Amino acid sequence: MSGFWPIFKRELFAFFVTPIAWVQIFVFCLVQGMHFYLVIDHFASQPELAGDQTPLQAFFGNTVLLYIVLFLLVPPMTMRLFAEERRSGTIETLMSAPVSTPAVVLGKYLSALTVYAAMWLPTVAYLVILRRTGVVDWHAVGASYLGVVLVGAGYLSVGTLMSAITRTQFLALVGTAFVLLVLFILGVGEFVTPAGSTLHDICAHVSVWAQMNDFASGIVDSRRLVYDATLILLPLFVTTRVVDAWRWG
Amino acid sequence: MISVSHLVKHYGSHVAVDDVSFRVEKGQIVGFLGPNGAGKSTTLRILSSFLGMTSGKVEICGHDIEESSLEARRSVGYMPEAVPLYPEMRVVEYLTFRAELKGVARSKRRGHVDDAMEKASVFDVANTLIGKLSKGYRQRVGLADALVANPPLLILDEPTAGLDPNQIRQVRELIAGLSGEHTVLLSTHILSEVEQSCDRVILIAKGKLLAEGKTADIRKMRRPTALDVTVRGDAQAAARVLRGIQGVAKVKEVAAKQPASASFQATWTKKLPDAEIEGTIEAAVSALVGAGLGVREVRPVGSSLEDVFAELTRGAPPDPAEREEPS
Repeated sequence: MSGFWPIFKRELFAFFVTPIAWVQIFVFCLVQGMHFYLVIDHFASQPELAGDQTPLQAFFGNTVLLYIVLFLLVPPMTMRLFAEERRSGTIETLMSAPVSTPAVVLGKYLSALTVYAAMWLPTVAYLVILRRTGVVDWHAVGASYLGVVLVGAGYLSVGTLMSAITRTQFLALVGTAFVLLVLFILGVGEFVTPAGSTLHDICAHVSVWAQMNDFASGIVDSRRLVYDATLILLPLFVTTRVVDAWRWG
Repeated sequence: MISVSHLVKHYGSHVAVDDVSFRVEKGQIVGFLGPNGAGKSTTLRILSSFLGMTSGKVEICGHDIEESSLEARRSVGYMPEAVPLYPEMRVVEYLTFRAELKGVARSKRRGHVDDAMEKASVFDVANTLIGKLSKGYRQRVGLADALVANPPLLILDEPTAGLDPNQIRQVRELIAGLSGEHTVLLSTHILSEVEQSCDRVILIAKGKLLAEGKTADIRKMRRPTALDVTVRGDAQAAARVLRGIQGVAKVKEVAAKQPASASFQATWTKKLPDAEIEGTIEAAVSALVGAGLGVREVRPVGSSLEDVFAELTRGAPPDPAEREEPS
């Protein structure tokens, strides 16, 4: 893993020295704040709902707001990673340095994942707020954050691959958004296909919606973990092959 | 230091480098010379492990670049032609990052970065954003990057391209200062560049190796072809005098270089032996003076790089493969 640390640090630096990371975190906090406000307002006005589910469950699952945020924020986080280096030619100095390809890919990917995790950090404040007025199920909270990180990790992995196979940041952005949209629509298919059909099973398997509902209720299903691990590892593996293939271009 | 044997690189059906073999010994400054599109950059990119080769064998400091790629890359400081840099970083940040990437130990990093900035004279812009630097400074930051891990071998792709004459001189001085400690392989398409800064020359054109040798040997191939003369006085008389000199093939009047004078280019005949050229120049000048003309400027003109290449390609023994009838 020669070269992992310097690349990881430089990518983090590039995120935070340019406005990207700050705009992202700002937009994320704004949208999630509104999201949280809506959920709490809803529960406060209809106390009879409280027996059915908790506000946190509604925050992490059940509503479409979570996916809109991911859909909008993940593609711009990863679009730069390789496309920018290839456009400006810095890929030449990077790859002629003594670095291994997995170190380059992981360094870049994990820097995006770190920014993603940092983006979620302020939402811990919501737990503190809820803790003051009621009971928080910490197991469900742990499962929810695990789910959020796993889903995001998978999406970022897709974005990393897109950045490696396209020449411009814009194409990487569009490509990533397209794949995420397809995955989301497939997931929605769970509700419209007849139960028991193969298509229904496939849709249920890839449904990020169903996954977040499970995780938000504190259910960590190993099938979901396998799916997430696939969505993380497969694009990363293909990315290392793509980066290696550039040498033969 | 570098040992290249039978290097071949194809881009699809296009052959960029065709069976090139050469060696570069320790401590030398070697010029990699060829016209645009000759395969210089491709070869250097292969040597720096950025590109893979189609076939052949390359060893850098004893490390095979395919089998022990990381060791080979560790012994090379490579500066690509376009000098790509990260615009959002400051010079010192960038060089520190590069030093870490190239495996310079934390305790030595600061010293290495300072040394590289010193050698490439970029100390005064250490805290400037790279995106705000001028072309000359960017070039020198690229050089500092190549130097920062203090590698035994430097591979510089057109290190003086796009610089003004003053900056070119500075870069040349810098490269000259590196000999001894480092081995340098630099590419260029300017013949005079090689003559000024290199010990040895490797000539390449259309992907093929044309010649390899000491700079002095290559210089001999650059035969004087003509004489530029500027005189004050009767232009027609001057042309007549020049035409009368033994060894002059033709005289062409060119745009006057100075006011109230006339300029000519007298081309030597092909038969004139190189050893007699100096004597012929003396004869021409004394004839002009004798005819009452004021000689203001006399300048021998050497053959261009293109001429040298034409000479070499014509003089080279035909390739046995090419002699066979195409099937």
